[in-house]
Parts: sequence; structure tokens; C-alpha cells
Amino acid sequence: MHRLSLLLRNKPGALARVVVLFSTRDVAVESLSLNPADADGLSRLDVQVRLREGRSVDQLVHQLRRVVDLCEVSAA
Amino acid sequence: MNGALALIKALEAVGCETVFGIPGGAILPAYDPLFDSAKIRHVLTRHEQGAGHAASGYAQATGRVGVCMATSGPGATNLVTPLADAYLDSLPVVAITGQVARPVIGTDAFQEADIRSITLPITKHSYQVTDPDDIPHVIAEAFTLAASGRPGPVLVDLPKDVLAAPAAWTEPEPPVVVRPRLDPAGVRQAADLLARAERPVFYVGGGVVRAGAAALLLELAERTGVPVVTTLMARGAFPDSHPQHLGMPGMHGTVAAVAAMQKADLLVALGARFDDRVTGSLARFAPEALVVHADIDPAEISKNRRADVPLVGDCRDVLRALNASVTTGGDLGAWWAYLDGLRTTFPLGYDWPEDGSLAPQYVISRIGELVGPEAIYTSGVGQHQMWAAQFVRYERPGSFINSGGLGTMGFAVPAAMGAVCGAPDRQVWAIDGDGCFQMTNQELATCALEGLPIKVAVINNGNLGMVRQWQNLFYGSRYSQTSLGSTPDFALLAEAMGCVGLRCSSRPGVDDVVREAMAVRDRPVVIDFVVGADAQVWPMVAAGTGNDEIMTARGLRPLCDSDTGEDL
Repeated sequence: MHRLSLLLRNKPGALARVVVLFSTRDVAVESLSLNPADADGLSRLDVQVRLREGRSVDQLVHQLRRVVDLCEVSAA
Repeated sequence: MNGALALIKALEAVGCETVFGIPGGAILPAYDPLFDSAKIRHVLTRHEQGAGHAASGYAQATGRVGVCMATSGPGATNLVTPLADAYLDSLPVVAITGQVARPVIGTDAFQEADIRSITLPITKHSYQVTDPDDIPHVIAEAFTLAASGRPGPVLVDLPKDVLAAPAAWTEPEPPVVVRPRLDPAGVRQAADLLARAERPVFYVGGGVVRAGAAALLLELAERTGVPVVTTLMARGAFPDSHPQHLGMPGMHGTVAAVAAMQKADLLVALGARFDDRVTGSLARFAPEALVVHADIDPAEISKNRRADVPLVGDCRDVLRALNASVTTGGDLGAWWAYLDGLRTTFPLGYDWPEDGSLAPQYVISRIGELVGPEAIYTSGVGQHQMWAAQFVRYERPGSFINSGGLGTMGFAVPAAMGAVCGAPDRQVWAIDGDGCFQMTNQELATCALEGLPIKVAVINNGNLGMVRQWQNLFYGSRYSQTSLGSTPDFALLAEAMGCVGLRCSSRPGVDDVVREAMAVRDRPVVIDFVVGADAQVWPMVAAGTGNDEIMTARGLRPLCDSDTGEDL
């Protein structure tokens, strides 16, 4: 299980793109919570995910960074 | 000014010269100012899929952003296949779609489809413009995103009332392209490994073509003497005539190229992504090799094969840095002796069919010889594609345009149409199969009317040839649903669409018919090459097996130490 913390721009489709990426890459979402971030126009997305065996969270983080409306992502 | 005029002015401002598309209800406002544009040529295709692949062909022939346009609903969904294709092959394409008016979005209105959601996993980014004032900068951003970093398709969805509403014009900002800064330590490590390697290989992918780095690759190859293999997406990135070129690796690669990767102690991957068609079974791929992996997309590095030295960067920067860092390489005499032995023993070749029919490989190699390396070749997907990759000699980057990642049948004709729009001074030959040709040949009517003189060589074996080959090898020769029969008459079909239709079914006629086609300059030409159905693509690494098990013919595995000679 990995905890991801994402900072997203409040743009239409930003959340959808992240969620579809999980689905495309066969990442199982265990929990997901979206809240307004401190800064204007941004949202904090906290997710717990389960990866397929042999797949690394670093790779997922790199794939998330391709999302244009993602400002930050960190994994724990 | 309304949103539609802002759209057309923005397209002009970012340098768009050609749009492939079809009008319809929701996108209609955009077609009104487009009618007056002196800078943009609109090519009215017969199907939106044709428009999308044409935009990809244009992008690959020019290195610039290809643009396609469609209306909402079915117009937009017909772009899904080209967008997926452009996504997997990293092509800079901008798709502009009409959308139903804002007040009715989400009500299942006539011709409403949520194209943004539908295309989420196959676009780099997408926009739905809700304020007409945003149109100029959204178009500029879309072009920048499509072409920068790892290129890819971007969708811009425009509700009809946004196009019709008054819009303020602001000059779009010129794109700022930021290239990632290379890690100098990684470059030093890579140069160091290159100096010490005994069996190095440059594994060259489409990223070298996209980056315009072919000349820098040639410099590095000659500086180091390292063998080069070029993937399906990189054919032409390194000249086929160059003695250091071992050809294409992978499922239908040359024995020398496959063996070089398999036995290497150092793989330097340049803009390549260790696709399963190249690696075969990953667990058994290149077991002794250290990997230097250079790619502009960090998400590709260590995705399939762990990189010992990751290099995130544009291939131009990577190759320039390596050229500045490498001293002379190690002694590669023994390595070359081994590879030269394989090249001599297992050259690419083919047998003539026993039934006296025309060998498809012969047709394709003669087209390559007669038409030459200055032309652009496109292909569909299947046996003819692999033979076009094997038997045409490519000398220039971007001279072979085909669908690598998605494997989209029907790509050849519309891609050729787009390529000739972008490169009107080059001959453009679509090498197609009869299965592929029947998926998208309607664009020949577009080509005839628009005066786009593409040549189409239909390698007609009356079958879905690659599927039939797999049925022959893996399904006990049970040819379930692969025979396409003998209709239509492709030469007559071509004539009906305003093209010249020719046919050839014998060896002595091949050169003449190719020359006859080359002489036609005012219309498209279709040559129906009637070939045998039993020809197969060799060599072959069967899906899921290791590259060591490459077969040069059924059951013949030259790289297996203990080849039992048994059948598959």
C-alpha cells in the first residue's frame, strides 16, 4: 500500500485524468480524498493505492507528473 | 470577432497551414471564417479517422504539429483511433472538436459525446473551452504541449455557442519550449561505460527522429564504432547503407540485430522504450547487458527494464553531450567479428513461392530500389509493414511513417495523404495490404480531388496475412476468418475514385508498373500487386518467447545453443 499526496489545479478534468491514469495503469485505489488546498485554485488529493506486483511507486509518480494540471506529487 | 474567428486567427498565428477535417453541426461556426482564410488549407477528408491519421502523417513528414478537425458526437469519436495511435507513437497532433452548446452539455443532446472523457487515457492533455476569450491562448498552449517534451496528441473541444459568442482577441504568446537539463554525472557514467564495454549496442528508437538528432547519432556511432540497431519507429534514423547498421531488432528483426542486443554487455537506448515487440520475454532479454537509458520522458525509464544509468533528456542534448564526452571506445574487434559472421550467415532473405506467384518481398524491395531514399514511405499494419521495414533501404530520418505502438490497420493511405500535404516535393508511397486498404481507401477520393498524387502499392494476398501467418504457426493452419476473397477489383476501385489503377501479378512486370506509376504526377495511383498468400515474415521471435529463440524459418533457431530442430 502506498500513500500519495497530490496537488492539483482546479481545472475541469484534472481529477478525472488522475483517476483514469490509475485505471489505465492497473492501480487499485483503496481510499481517495479531495479537499481545497491552502493556495487559491488548488486542491489536495490524498490517495492510498495498491500496485501490481513488480511495479514501482516511482514509476507511477513519474506517470502522474505527466498530468499537465498536477503541480506536485509525493509518495510515502 | 466571434469565437470561431478567434480560433482561425489563433491557428494562423501559431503557424498552422493545413487542417484535415469534416464539418458538421457543432463545428459549423468554425468553418465559416475558415472559408476565408488565405493561410490555412483545409483538406476535406471522407472520414474523420482519415483526417486524424493524415494529421499524424503530416506531423511526421514535417516535424510540425498536425491538425485535424471534426464535429461533436460521431465526428469526434471517429478521431479516437488516430488519437490513440498518435499517443502511442508520440506524435504532435492537435484535434479540434465541436461540442454541443454549453446549456445542453450533459443532457444527451443530439450528437453529444463526452469526447474529453473518452480520450482521457489517449491524450497528453485536453481542453474544453467555456469562455470564448480563452480561445487564442488555449490554441497556443495546445500547440506547445503537443510539440514539447515527449510529443503527443492534445484535444481542444469547443462548444458551438462558445464559437458563436463574441470573443476578445489577444495575440497568443509564442511557445516557450523548455528542455530538461541533462545530469552531467549520468553523461560521464555513460561515457565511461561506453569506453569500457566490449559488446556495446546503440538501441535507437523514435525519440531520435522526433528530436531531429540523426546527424548527432551518426557522429557518435562513427566516433565509437559501436553497432547500431533501429526500431520500427526509427527506421531511417541511421542510414541502412552504413556498415555499422545491423538493421531492425525485435519480433521481425534481423538475426544480427536481435543477437547484438541479446549478447550485449552494454545497451545504450536512445529514445526507445523497451517495447515488448523489441524485447520479447523481458525476463530473458539481454541478460548480460548494463543499460544506459536516454529518454525525454522520465516515466519510460526503468518502466520495463531497469536502467543502470538513467538519462532524462532530449536526444539532441544527450547525443551532443556524449559526443563531447566519449573518447575512443574499447577494442570491438571480437564483437564485430561475431556480428559480421551473423550478418553473412543470416542475411534478410526470402524464397519465391513454389506456386509461381509473385513474392511480396520482391515487390517491396523493387519499389524501394526504383523509388529511392528521397521518397517518403508509409505502411499499414501486418506482413506488408514488416516487409516494408525490412526490404526498403532507408537513408533519411522520417522517411518511413507507420503505426508502431497501436498497430493501426488502415494507417497507410491517410498517412500518405497527410505526408504529401506536408512534403509536396517528395514522392509518397503507401505500401499497403489488401486488408488495411479496405479500411481507409475512401481517402483516395480526397487525394484525387485535392490533387495529392500519392502512390499506393497494395500487396494483395487476399488475406489478413499476418493473422494467417499466426494461424499457420500457432493454430494448426486453421484459417478462421482470414480470407478476404478476390473482390473488390482494386484497380477498378481506384479508377472509380479518380485515380489511376494498375495491376501486376508477375515478376517481369514489377519494374515497369512501378515506373509507370512514378510517371503519373497529377493523380493518385493504385497498383494492385497480386502476390502469393503463403509468404511469411522471417525472422520471427514468437510472442512471449525469448529473443534467443529467434527463428529464421519454421523451427530454425540459430541463436539457441542446443537447437533440437524440432517444430514450434
